[in-house]
Amino acid sequence: MPTSRSTRIVLYVYGVLVIAFLYIPLVSVGFASVSKARYLTFPIKRYSTKWYGEALGSSTVSELLTTSMTVAVLVTVISVVVAFFGALAFARYHWRFRTTFQKLILLPIFFPQTVLGLALLMWFNSLGIIPTWKTAVVAHLVWIAPIATLIVAIRAYSFDPALEEAARDMGAGTFTILREITLPLLMPGLVSAGLFAFLLSWGNFPLSLFTTGADSTLPEWLYAKMVSGYSPLVPTLGVMSVVGSFVLIIAAFAVARLLRANKETSAVQD
Amino acid sequence: MGSPGLLRLRGVVKRFGSFTAVRDIDLDIVEGEFFTIVGPSGSGKSTLIRLLVGMDEVTEGEIWLRDKRIDKTPANLRPTCMVFQSLALFPHMTVGQNIEFPLKLRKEPQDKRRARAEELLDLLRLPRSYYDKRISQCSGGERQRVALARALAFDPEILFFDEPLSALDYRLRKTLEKELKDLHARTGKTFVYITHSLEEAMVMSDRIAIMKEGRFEQIAVADEIYSAPVSRFVAEFMGEVNLFPLSAGADGRIASDALSVRPGMRLSQLTPGSGGLLMVRPEYVRLAGDADGFDFSLKGIVHGEYALGSRIQYEIETVNGMVTVEKLREDRLTATEGQTLVLGFNAENTHFIGEAA
Repeated sequence: MPTSRSTRIVLYVYGVLVIAFLYIPLVSVGFASVSKARYLTFPIKRYSTKWYGEALGSSTVSELLTTSMTVAVLVTVISVVVAFFGALAFARYHWRFRTTFQKLILLPIFFPQTVLGLALLMWFNSLGIIPTWKTAVVAHLVWIAPIATLIVAIRAYSFDPALEEAARDMGAGTFTILREITLPLLMPGLVSAGLFAFLLSWGNFPLSLFTTGADSTLPEWLYAKMVSGYSPLVPTLGVMSVVGSFVLIIAAFAVARLLRANKETSAVQD
Repeated sequence: MGSPGLLRLRGVVKRFGSFTAVRDIDLDIVEGEFFTIVGPSGSGKSTLIRLLVGMDEVTEGEIWLRDKRIDKTPANLRPTCMVFQSLALFPHMTVGQNIEFPLKLRKEPQDKRRARAEELLDLLRLPRSYYDKRISQCSGGERQRVALARALAFDPEILFFDEPLSALDYRLRKTLEKELKDLHARTGKTFVYITHSLEEAMVMSDRIAIMKEGRFEQIAVADEIYSAPVSRFVAEFMGEVNLFPLSAGADGRIASDALSVRPGMRLSQLTPGSGGLLMVRPEYVRLAGDADGFDFSLKGIVHGEYALGSRIQYEIETVNGMVTVEKLREDRLTATEGQTLVLGFNAENTHFIGEAA
């Protein structure tokens, strides 16, 4: 459909406004992180990378990053494993309570995270478990594993059950089918589920707040510092966290692209 | 076909809860034959083939392959293989990897696998360069051939087919039907094929079984199924047909509400006091000015004319309802719609279906 000049202008303006709305806050955090001043004021008078140096040298920061990273990696690994088997139960096999299972497993996603966090904290207390980053892993899993399962299930729904039957018919046992057919076909779903799990855990605040106990993740620390004792270390770490996430996503895409390219070259050689 | 059955079914029953999909089936499939099971959807043919392949378990009965009872053997341990309706080609593998899959499972060395895959590509008339192609780069007909090659690589005792041609367009289907028949002849394998298309069955099969509500109505060679169906269901399933109710009096004289019968006509299958249906295929009905020289005749008004390509079909309104008549294009009628004619046919071109059926 041809668009008139005036329509095009409106579209451009609209597009720019939406992008600005989404990104100006992030950019301003970036600016704040390179300000030399102790408090955030605009316009920034003197720039400095001092806080980045400080962040990299700080033992608090490295402790925070270690905690957040440990939680996120564990949540990712466990979520992907749970999602793989959960999605198979969800989408591939017909069994008596399947539809009930499908609904129940998705329910935690719809709980407000603060409510979920509070409920888990009360539950841990009543069991006499002292909250640490390990309980946070459990808390994150309650919310993230269903999302990962859903992502893998969508993939599982989209492939023909006859593929597994055909493999069996040609002599493959259950384990071989899993390795040769099911796993490779679900791989794109598992990769995106893993990415989501990592990012959701890495950036999670409400669940961590309730369930980490004396330990602290990066988002928790950022919040605590905003409430009392702001320093430019806050935006600095914020920026570092965002950059870290971006690097992860780009790396994942690069790996996916590399794998595809490999397959294609092996397909055209000869 | 006197040789002993390669695959034997004895009293095979399959129930899903209270629903019986397959009812007490006995069957002997002879080594090397092309056997087709035809039936409408819901007739139980897909259930039956799943039992034969081992993807579902029989509720009752026995399945024997040569001298081994296999009905408790799971699909992956049976020496048979199926070409699926969806073909079930692995999308994450190349054509070559698909074909080699059953060989890889048997841990055959790479060079032997490749040699066999290339042999099969030749057999299925696919260029060897397809070895490294992805499945998504193949056309419908090519995928069909890849699926066949993969099944043949397995080297099954019996090759099963679950309507693999149903998703293809008419011309490609026609070509592949002939190719399948040809492949059957060249490989000498036993093929068991299921389809809802009688035409497909007629082109390819040595024997055909017509299935209805979980039972076989008739098992016979294609010609016999066409010319001598055992029931109204089989007759109507096997293409256009005209059926006339008949009965015989105590003296053996034929009585019919619709047909004028030549005086003194007798049908050997029509015993005195019984009744049934007289079947005549559209190509055997003659159109004439009067009833002279016909064993059976009736009057009708030309209702419609339909071109079928090489043949022309007429619908003619009679006291027995619409009667279908077919002529070759060169024998096209001069009659026009609304004209009254006499339809006649002779006993040698008819088939009698007894009352019970």
